[in-house]
Amino acid sequence: MFEWSEEQQAVRSAVRRFVEAEIAPRVDELEHGDVPPYDVIRSLYRTFGMDQLARDRFERTLAQRRAVEASGASAQPSGDGDGDGVRRGDGGAAALTLVPIVELCRYCPGIVTAMGVSIGLAAGTIMRRGTADQMERWGRDLVTFDTVGAWAITEPNSGSDALGGMQATARETGDGYVLNGNKTFITNGPFADTIVFYAKLDDGSDTPMRSRPVLTFVLDRGMPGLEQSAPFRKMGLHSSPTGELFLSDVEVGPDRLLGSAGQAASGEGRQSAKDNFVTERAGVAAMALGVIEQCLSLSVAYAKDRMLWGKAIADLQLIQLKLARMEVARLNVENLVFRHIEMEAAGRSLSLAEASAMKLYSAQAATEVAMEAVQLMGGNGYMADYRVEQLARDAKVFQIYAGTDEIQVTHIARDLLAR
Amino acid sequence: MSGAPIGRWGPLSGTIAPMNVVVCVKQIPDPAAPAALDAQSHTLVREGKLILDDSDAYGVEMGLQLAAEDGEVTLVSMAPNGEVSGLRTGLAMGAAKAILVSDGALKGSDALSTAKVLAKAIERAQPDLVIAATESTDGYTGTTPVQIAELLGMPSVTFAKKISVANGSVRVERQTEAGYDEVECPLPCVVTVTAGVVEPRYPSFKGIMAAKSKPVDQLTVADLGLDASSVGWAGAGQEITGVAAAEERGAGELVVDEGDAHERIVAFLEQLKLV
Repeated sequence: MFEWSEEQQAVRSAVRRFVEAEIAPRVDELEHGDVPPYDVIRSLYRTFGMDQLARDRFERTLAQRRAVEASGASAQPSGDGDGDGVRRGDGGAAALTLVPIVELCRYCPGIVTAMGVSIGLAAGTIMRRGTADQMERWGRDLVTFDTVGAWAITEPNSGSDALGGMQATARETGDGYVLNGNKTFITNGPFADTIVFYAKLDDGSDTPMRSRPVLTFVLDRGMPGLEQSAPFRKMGLHSSPTGELFLSDVEVGPDRLLGSAGQAASGEGRQSAKDNFVTERAGVAAMALGVIEQCLSLSVAYAKDRMLWGKAIADLQLIQLKLARMEVARLNVENLVFRHIEMEAAGRSLSLAEASAMKLYSAQAATEVAMEAVQLMGGNGYMADYRVEQLARDAKVFQIYAGTDEIQVTHIARDLLAR
Repeated sequence: MSGAPIGRWGPLSGTIAPMNVVVCVKQIPDPAAPAALDAQSHTLVREGKLILDDSDAYGVEMGLQLAAEDGEVTLVSMAPNGEVSGLRTGLAMGAAKAILVSDGALKGSDALSTAKVLAKAIERAQPDLVIAATESTDGYTGTTPVQIAELLGMPSVTFAKKISVANGSVRVERQTEAGYDEVECPLPCVVTVTAGVVEPRYPSFKGIMAAKSKPVDQLTVADLGLDASSVGWAGAGQEITGVAAAEERGAGELVVDEGDAHERIVAFLEQLKLV
């Protein structure tokens, strides 16, 4: 794959029209007006029938999960989609997710983060790990974006060490659990209807905190003892509401423990959290591509238009160097995204190290390109009207969330050194 | 012909039979890309990838709404090199099928030749209603739809800003400079629609995926039973003898307010007979 297929281009062109008509004029309102992005995301889902596609896929997955449960087999996710243990290609479906991400990120990466966390992480975790009943109860409305999801793992004292350093606890009570702890930097935290919450098992034993099983729970907005903070003020990504969660003696029944009782109680939450790494990192690369494409396009137009000493600055070699480096980054990131799509179509996935390398490079490239776009435009670039300053602030988070650059390096190195 | 105004309409009644709607669509060079004229023929270079003319998206949407679930929309287009990209957009929106006439002999066709070709293609679909844009975004003659109507022996209503169908007739609010006329016309007929008639839908992802497997009937001039000498350069009743750059707009007059700016602006508007 060296270019988007005709069908993918049709999707891209339709989404671009939508984004330019419905989202671009509202970016200021979304970024600075404290307007949550959820109605815009729902409109995107409805407009392109993404809600119906998700509903259809949900019903198929649910029927398979029910069949597996009825047969008495473990509902352990196979990841194959057909429940027969054989991994098949996705027929290019990954592109249908990634193309809108690229297009949205030309204007508003925050929307993608809000959408990706709800659909990819919250709904994704429930659909992979939940029982059929749990899928029906929470997954059905999450996959269509009728409800908003959050995925709560990070804590004030554990970001990169989220699983080991986790302090949130789930104390067994005989007929359920009592949850306590604080989570922070939680995307959609302030508005989420459904929260996937990770906590360490407290079964009264003296097992050291680091070694305790991690359990995954599903919480609903408004539960007694659950407080969702107001959105944080951030450097960028203002269109994605981020906040804290405070849990104080939140009582939950076993029905909220994600997965079948046996698996869940064994602490498969660690794997549940790791399941998301590859998809999340590939998604960040697509986000980076959108930022890079837009910055490059705005920079080329500006360079041709902006006159200095009687000629366009595009004639200056220092400007040409910036444009050329942006193009190199665009080509590389696009190729990485294409590789991911091709692999999914072939029924294969990037290894964790490959996904980490892809994310590391793309995040750094997007930040550098966006900052260089600001530099190329000088004083204008520093002004909000020229749009690249927002993308530069937004891009910086690509190096921090979904695993910092430094964590990506360790994942790549661990793989290399294990050979 | 344009129907006469019939006054205020009564309520719609009666069952609407499934509608077979043909929408004429043009595939044009992307207006966002720089356009080029052929040095020899002075016609628009149309060799690359073409897209659905934006002004036709309104007709497709109107057709889909009128055809509803029981009816069907067929797209009819004439384009070089078997180009179907623009048709796929209309099919993704929901049209059931398309007829494309593509033939080297059509190069240089004027509006009337185009109308002859499209009319022959439309006949094959046996439509209850033919919808077209008021004019294309690359040619702007605005004459093809009424020529099609004449060739098909159908009445035509132009500049529709609202359309409804009942009891074998089409009712149209026809845009005028002063407002609109209410016009009723028997089916089958040709109606041209303005950009305000409806808001075109975005194609759904499912629609885009389904579009590639929808039928596109590709025809040549001979398939339509037309004589090649009646179309293209051979049949054109017009010739482009030259092309000149449009006159550059003159510099405007800057009114600096020294207390009398309002008087000078009023005087200027009076001179233009605007006040």
